[in-house]
Amino acid sequence: MQTTQDGTFTGANHTFCAWVGYSPEELSGKLKFQDLLNMGGRIFHQTHWLPLLQMQGSIAEVKVEIIHRDGSAIPMVINALRRVEQGAVVHQLAAFVARDRDKYERELVLSRKRFEELFREATRLQDEAKDRALFAEQMIGIVSHDLRNPLASIAMGTALLMRGELDEGKQRVVTQISRSKDRATRLIGDLLDFTQARLGKGITVTARRLELHTIVAESVDELALAYSGRLLKHEQNGDGTASVDSHRLAQLIGNLVSNAMTYGGADKLVTVTSTVDEETFSVAVHNHGKPIPPALQGKIFEPMTRGGQSSGTSRSVGLGLYIVRQIAKAHRGEVGVTSNEADGTTFTATFPRATPPPPPPSAPTRP
Amino acid sequence: MVFAHGFGCDQHMWRFLSEKYSARYRTVLFDLVGSGKSDLKAYDPKKYNSLHGYADDVVEIVREFAEGPVIFVGHSVSAMIGLLANLKAPERFAAQIMVGPSPCYINDGDYIGGFTRADIESLLETLESNYLGWSSNMAPAIMGAPDQPQLGVELTNSFCRTDPDVAKQFARVTFLSDNRADVPKLKASTPILQCTDDIIAPRAVGQYLHRQLPNSTLAVIENVGHCPHLSAPGLSIDAIDGFLAKERL
Repeated sequence: MQTTQDGTFTGANHTFCAWVGYSPEELSGKLKFQDLLNMGGRIFHQTHWLPLLQMQGSIAEVKVEIIHRDGSAIPMVINALRRVEQGAVVHQLAAFVARDRDKYERELVLSRKRFEELFREATRLQDEAKDRALFAEQMIGIVSHDLRNPLASIAMGTALLMRGELDEGKQRVVTQISRSKDRATRLIGDLLDFTQARLGKGITVTARRLELHTIVAESVDELALAYSGRLLKHEQNGDGTASVDSHRLAQLIGNLVSNAMTYGGADKLVTVTSTVDEETFSVAVHNHGKPIPPALQGKIFEPMTRGGQSSGTSRSVGLGLYIVRQIAKAHRGEVGVTSNEADGTTFTATFPRATPPPPPPSAPTRP
Repeated sequence: MVFAHGFGCDQHMWRFLSEKYSARYRTVLFDLVGSGKSDLKAYDPKKYNSLHGYADDVVEIVREFAEGPVIFVGHSVSAMIGLLANLKAPERFAAQIMVGPSPCYINDGDYIGGFTRADIESLLETLESNYLGWSSNMAPAIMGAPDQPQLGVELTNSFCRTDPDVAKQFARVTFLSDNRADVPKLKASTPILQCTDDIIAPRAVGQYLHRQLPNSTLAVIENVGHCPHLSAPGLSIDAIDGFLAKERL
């Protein structure tokens, strides 16, 4: 096609005329090229096409919808050239029908839209899950903190009752209450440590240089009282001091022994071994009994993971080993497990002996 | 003299006018953020979700590059951007030259803006279907321009290339803007350059603005299209010169 500068047709070939449903006579001098565009195309023509034609003399591959005489839209790709002929500006245009390209592009646009929707949905679900997890962890923290007060009352009450004269039956009940209270206190301690490790600044330790075997022996003695009727032994290798938080180490041993008592046979020996080497010291807890399935060994230190065959008496919600690992980490140590049918199960926490550089920043751990 | 281009292309639109006026004034040209060679990293979809974002930029540019009050020349949507900038810092503007302005593109009751909402949707669709060739992300094609050898290796469409997402938002912000309430607040002297045949800023819109602007003159330029500074630079310059002489600027 050819038009004047203002878009008025001065000529069009038969192919174009057939496409748009006008005769050459109906176009020439009577219609403007932009009259054949839809409104979006007209705006585009004025804001993009004409300025470009003016500035660079040509324009390539513009896709517009040309409106047929009968009102239907035909997607076309158009190239245009601006020429000066005998002092007058003329525009020469070449058009190509682009139905297939149009279909293809629409599909591309559609699938991009679908993808964007899916992406938004996925992001939203992920955010929701994060919020829920955070909320749950905060709830654990709040609830376990608030449970301490009623437990303190129970502790005081049972202590008072024990001082008085009780017959054997009542004595047994009070002792049972006291044990249950101790277990609840430990559980709440675990929950608070868990929340602090996940949300707060991590588990805190105050390390001092101590004789390792001495403090392990103290812990084992206390545990032997708690698990009276079970077989518990302490073995020592090497000798020397270790930089350690004694309360946290006792907590670590307590959790490992509790675990060993649960999963080891009731008549089988549980062994706590403390070892002092040149560079490191370690505490290992061994029990006999069914091994931990290999698939579980890799994630057993994650919260809420439980060995399948629990007898269910002293196991709580599966925070014990998670806290063991956090305590080990806070001491710059690590904890591992070996477990098989022949040798039984051994959890070993290994620590460097050197005093940690002050202060050890233990960041909250998030999976 | 500060020139601000409209929706579609970039500061190259001003080539004839800026050349002419650079002898008399210090001319300042810029690309709106998101257009031309502006830094796309500076494009903040929140800030540019209204013309005020662009107007804040104009005030910043004027404060940075002009000593005294400026003559602001705004084409199309930039006429309104200039108006908003003027209302933010009136002491910085001596005159507002509006080329093809429109305070509201969509018809609204008695007001004839020239478009319906469906028209704007149709524009967005056209922009989208020209995604490939117009996207600044795509490798540009090179094409010769036989009549203008100096542009022989100029990148095709480069003056109007933009990021497609930016182009879409800018189109929405432009064509859905309604600044009719702000128009009567403008105190500066305001010549309106109105084309005889412009679908984007029809004559009724120019007349409306002339009525509503307290200190305006209306110059009608014989021109088909929305860019008289490109297709009728001589007539545009005549109209601006006439105004500048009258105002002794």
